[in-house]
Amino acid sequence: MKILEVTNLTMRFGGLIAVNSLDLEMEAGQILGLIGPNGAGKSTAFNCLAGVYRPTEGEINFRGQKVNGQKPWNLSKQGLARTFQIVKPFASKTVLYNVMVGAFARHGRTAQARAKAMEVLKHLKLDDKKDQRAGSLTIADRKRLEIARALATEPKLLLLDEVMAGLRPTEVDDMVALINGLREKGMTILVIEHIMRAIMALSDRIIVIHFGRKIAEGLPAEVAADENVIKAYLGEEYGLS
Amino acid sequence: MAGVGAIAFGLPLVVQSPTYLHILVLLFFYTYLTTSWNLVGGFAGVLPLGHSMFVGIGAYTSTVLSLQYGISPWFGMLIGGVLATVAGVLIGLPTFKMRGAYFALATIAFAEGFRVMIENIDHLGPFNLNGPRGLQIPPLNTGFANYMFAAKEPYYYIILVMLIGVLILTYLINRSKLGYFLNAGGEEPEAAMSLGVNVARCKLIAMAISSFLTALAGTFYAQFSLFIHPKSVVSLDLSFEIAFIALIGGRGSIAGPVLGALLLRPVSDFSRIYFGDTLPGLHLIIFGLVLVLVMIFQPRGLQEPLTRVFNRLLDRFGQVEPERSRS
Repeated sequence: MKILEVTNLTMRFGGLIAVNSLDLEMEAGQILGLIGPNGAGKSTAFNCLAGVYRPTEGEINFRGQKVNGQKPWNLSKQGLARTFQIVKPFASKTVLYNVMVGAFARHGRTAQARAKAMEVLKHLKLDDKKDQRAGSLTIADRKRLEIARALATEPKLLLLDEVMAGLRPTEVDDMVALINGLREKGMTILVIEHIMRAIMALSDRIIVIHFGRKIAEGLPAEVAADENVIKAYLGEEYGLS
Repeated sequence: MAGVGAIAFGLPLVVQSPTYLHILVLLFFYTYLTTSWNLVGGFAGVLPLGHSMFVGIGAYTSTVLSLQYGISPWFGMLIGGVLATVAGVLIGLPTFKMRGAYFALATIAFAEGFRVMIENIDHLGPFNLNGPRGLQIPPLNTGFANYMFAAKEPYYYIILVMLIGVLILTYLINRSKLGYFLNAGGEEPEAAMSLGVNVARCKLIAMAISSFLTALAGTFYAQFSLFIHPKSVVSLDLSFEIAFIALIGGRGSIAGPVLGALLLRPVSDFSRIYFGDTLPGLHLIIFGLVLVLVMIFQPRGLQEPLTRVFNRLLDRFGQVEPERSRS
């Protein structure tokens, strides 16, 4: 089943075309990697999917329904969750409080929301830090908290925006293991990432965009050998031929 | 908690002087107002500075209805509450899109506009508002049904019950879904929205509850002082004093408004008693100084260090574990 189907997605800011007729499809249970050099339009595309921007053109179908320009809180109810590249914890509140806000999306009662939040925290091995203030966590734990909060909304599709940026290599390995674990439980995940080692290990398929256009799509190994991709990352003179 | 409540109920047996009873009534009145304000100004993380408007709506509605139509203020109080709720939602719809100081300024503008209107209108349709001269309630038919008493004690108990009610209500809201959503939306609106929180709608709900509760206090004030005029119930001074109490005590916590009022109301009362002729407004200067100091040393209000001391005492003496998630 196609869980996400994006056709001809275009986003213009005045004269600047940030995303240019991007097509994208995701099967349930898949991990799709979205990569590209800085300023390629990854985050803009991401924000269109998450309901932050209403796309100038194109159509976004999520679970068979057109969701162009729907508000973030409605998308959340329909089963879409996201994390933020620059983490946004409710810093003065405890870790448990943060995750409970997400859990309230599906559970009206405080006790149920707390139980759900505890379940997610245990799964992400954050339960021993549940009473710490979110603002006092390390960056690795804050990234984990972003994911925990998103998972507490019980999403069908999880959008991860550079959850490994700023992590140490061992922490990156932990994060890769965590995301792989989510896939094994059947979660569909769209990953934006700069750390190639991680995205190559995780993704079932990868889409590369450059100047808002899709320049390559395929299996990780195919994409890594693609001439356009190498040029986009390293410059014209590094072409394969 | 129960102990404090019991002492509060027993206090009029000890305090015989009407002056001190009056001061206590006003202390509870301001605590009640600030606690109601705290639903929006504290939990939702915005800074409304026009809540005196809702006090005014409550006071004028019940008073006009009782003077002209003989409707009991108990019933007029509810009508005032509904009108204030409508006003609160109408103000909230456009202004909750603004952030920070702009929201605060917009609420001041609405409240001041409302005051100027009341001051300049003698008759609003069939209703006699009497402009800047205000409305006097003749103390003729005392009794519970008329919300009018010769002694201070009944007023003391009414406002005490109202205060306990509003404290319990905010406690329940704070630990409900609405409370979590309000706090989340106040702290990181974008993150909250992505987690399914319709931030603007939560703020509107909080505003509706807050303005309703505030209007109830307006009726109480009218019945307690038996004289209302625009400068007394719709003034900026009143709005600011509520905000001062909340900011100094600690917004967004349940103990904050209580602490703030306990600290600031005596300053206000005694400066009026002793310096009322020579230095009117002295209390506002003192409030300003205290606020500057608190913001420098305890930006989250005085409740935080005091709660910490309280928790440590409880830990040391091995009492029940205090609720920690409420800050």
